[in-house]
Amino acid sequence: MKKALTLIQLLAFIAVLLVGFSAGADDRKYRRTIENYSMPDVVLVNQNGAKVRFKELMQSKPVIVDFIFGTCTTICPILSVSFANLQQKLGSNSQKVQLVSISIDPENDTPKVLKEYLKRYRSKPGWDFLTGTRSDIDKVMYAFNAYIPNKMSHFPLTLIRSPGDGKWIRIFGLMGSAEFISECQKVGIL
Amino acid sequence: MRIPIRSGQGNYISAAAFCLVVLLLPVWPPTSYGATDKPSPSSEELLKLGERMYREGILPSGEPMNAFVKGDLPVPGTAFTCASCHLRSGLGSIEGGVVTPPTNGPYLFKPFKGYSSPRYVNTPFLPPQLVKYNSQYYQKPHNRPVYTDESLANALRSGIDSAGRVMNDVMPRYLLEDDEMKLLVSYLKSLSSEFSPGVTDTTIRFATIVSDGVSPEERNAMLVPLENYIRNKNQADVHDPRMIRSNQVRSTGARSRLMAAVTMTSLGVANRKLSLSCWELKGAPETWRGQLEEYYRKEPVFAILGGITRGEWQPIHQFCEDNRIPNIFPITDFPVVSQDDWYTLYLSKGYYQEGEGAARFLNGKEDLKDKRIIQFVRDSREGRALSRGFLETWRGFGQKAPETITLKAGMKLTAKSLQRELAQKKPAAIILWDGPEALKTLEMVAVEKNRPSIILVSSTYLGKSMLSLNERVQKFTYLTYPYGISQTPEERAVQLATKEITSSSMGSKVFSMEANTDATIRISLQTQILTIILHSALLDMRGNYYRDNLLDVIGMDMDQDVPLYERLSFGPGQRYASKGCYIVQLAKTGLVKKSGWVIH
Repeated sequence: MKKALTLIQLLAFIAVLLVGFSAGADDRKYRRTIENYSMPDVVLVNQNGAKVRFKELMQSKPVIVDFIFGTCTTICPILSVSFANLQQKLGSNSQKVQLVSISIDPENDTPKVLKEYLKRYRSKPGWDFLTGTRSDIDKVMYAFNAYIPNKMSHFPLTLIRSPGDGKWIRIFGLMGSAEFISECQKVGIL
Repeated sequence: MRIPIRSGQGNYISAAAFCLVVLLLPVWPPTSYGATDKPSPSSEELLKLGERMYREGILPSGEPMNAFVKGDLPVPGTAFTCASCHLRSGLGSIEGGVVTPPTNGPYLFKPFKGYSSPRYVNTPFLPPQLVKYNSQYYQKPHNRPVYTDESLANALRSGIDSAGRVMNDVMPRYLLEDDEMKLLVSYLKSLSSEFSPGVTDTTIRFATIVSDGVSPEERNAMLVPLENYIRNKNQADVHDPRMIRSNQVRSTGARSRLMAAVTMTSLGVANRKLSLSCWELKGAPETWRGQLEEYYRKEPVFAILGGITRGEWQPIHQFCEDNRIPNIFPITDFPVVSQDDWYTLYLSKGYYQEGEGAARFLNGKEDLKDKRIIQFVRDSREGRALSRGFLETWRGFGQKAPETITLKAGMKLTAKSLQRELAQKKPAAIILWDGPEALKTLEMVAVEKNRPSIILVSSTYLGKSMLSLNERVQKFTYLTYPYGISQTPEERAVQLATKEITSSSMGSKVFSMEANTDATIRISLQTQILTIILHSALLDMRGNYYRDNLLDVIGMDMDQDVPLYERLSFGPGQRYASKGCYIVQLAKTGLVKKSGWVIH
């Protein structure tokens, strides 16, 4: 009987620990990691129909990347509002940070669709929305460890390239504007 | 991995901050609809105002609604409309790991117990196992008591639900005046509150459409697979207790539960038979509208499946738009090309899409920059649709429209006139939108000294005659080809050599060029695609038989690997499922790709 009680107590203790761990994990709003990524040498197309050498764009200045699509209903608008707010904060310095949204629906996202999307968010120079062939988009997703076979199974991801050491801050989840600005400040973008 | 959500305390702080923002806002200007001497709007007009708020995020004053998301992100309601996430039907969605619960009247004004019962098959949600499996970031909607007008208004403003819980902070908190709120709440009460016409307790009625002039072979190519699907569904013994039991197995494995959830038959579909009527249209297209109205009056249907006519789809498209009837995948090469229309979902833009593909291909050719291009257009429905797709896309690139020479019906392009055009204008490329007659023109061009390096033709307009392009003309003839092409062994080897498994390298589809040029086989394949999409949509509707929900559900569908097309893709509001078009050349080995499926 005593042994049984001890066993029950032990199991209860483990359960409490697990619940506590789980609750602790739930307190985090998003997951932040530091990563090294190697960029693929592909040519994508921006909202103006201009060809963009992706690798060069990623090395030009402080860069923030996300993966979205033009008819997304829920998470892409939130990611895009964060970009718009950052540009507003940067004011006339908006071009000091290169914001890059990459389409995960290249069939539908023509340059015209990209342009209209950016207009909806009152984007300023310095925010490019890129499309391309599916295989090139796949390569970019792979490079960021963000590959999804289908746009409807996408997830919120923001990638910030630290101008200091070239490392990438990978943020998984949706941030509020203050959190996003704080992440930018941490790497010296603001 | 599950992404955590805000702690309760944080949310209350956000809510408090939000309330403070609301209090500090200037007094809202009076809305225009209630404060003047104008007669009071009718209840229908008031519902329209509410609908506009819900769908477009526009207030009765014409100003955008304002809102906050994620606690502190100010957003215009036009970018975050209610319909964005809850969808047009209000039945909700799951997207990017965010679960959006229903917001239509029947669900708001009764207690929510969506996840407490195993009989979730008739809730509009995906089963929780599937949500959990798919989601990295989600918050399962909690059980809650029935909403009242007041608690609903409170939820929309502060994000506190009727149980007093703080909602997911991606739900916008809207800044609305009382009279504006009243309009929105009234609209929500009416939204998807009764099943659409065509649905009874025992049957879901569908119709298809065939006009006269359609050959018996083409008619059968569409009707037979459709009727087979309906018959098979109705004969399937979905009430077999073994089948139901097998779907309710309480397995300890998450994967088994997921499988059970995915394969579970919707009780709504199981309890209803499907019926299919064939609406025959006679005479001139101008008379079709009257005939359609009469068919619909006698027999209201839930949706129109497929359909085939000779010529434009426009009269049927408009009928469906006006009566709010979904039309899924009509068999037509002449769809209405529109960015805003809602009720007809096409397989592609047909000939227009080939014209688009040609423009995108030529626009990407650096060596053609500022060079002369001539477009020969047969004055036919096909020629005009191809030319329109080309010109609208070409102008969209900021390019000057090419010289266009119209070939009247029956008019043949003579060697002499062609010689003159080539000698005088020396075009770098020719676009030849003509049917099988184009073969003779290509033969004439082959012997010309001033022959351009590219002549673009439409494979669909050429039909089977494209297979007889001889070697002499193959080298300068480029075809728009809106169907899938089998991989060459070399392409497959390159894909397999890479370690990255992508959607395009997971399997190798086999397409038949000969079959694709055969209209009858093509129609049969297109109808099979319709039945595949319809079947999964009927299950995903989970017993919520509202027409807008049918289109919402298809819009949220995963991209599909189907016969005939390289890829079908969907998305909220997207109305053309196949969006690509190869540019190819014909060679001894078959079709040689000269572009990607999608050209930008």
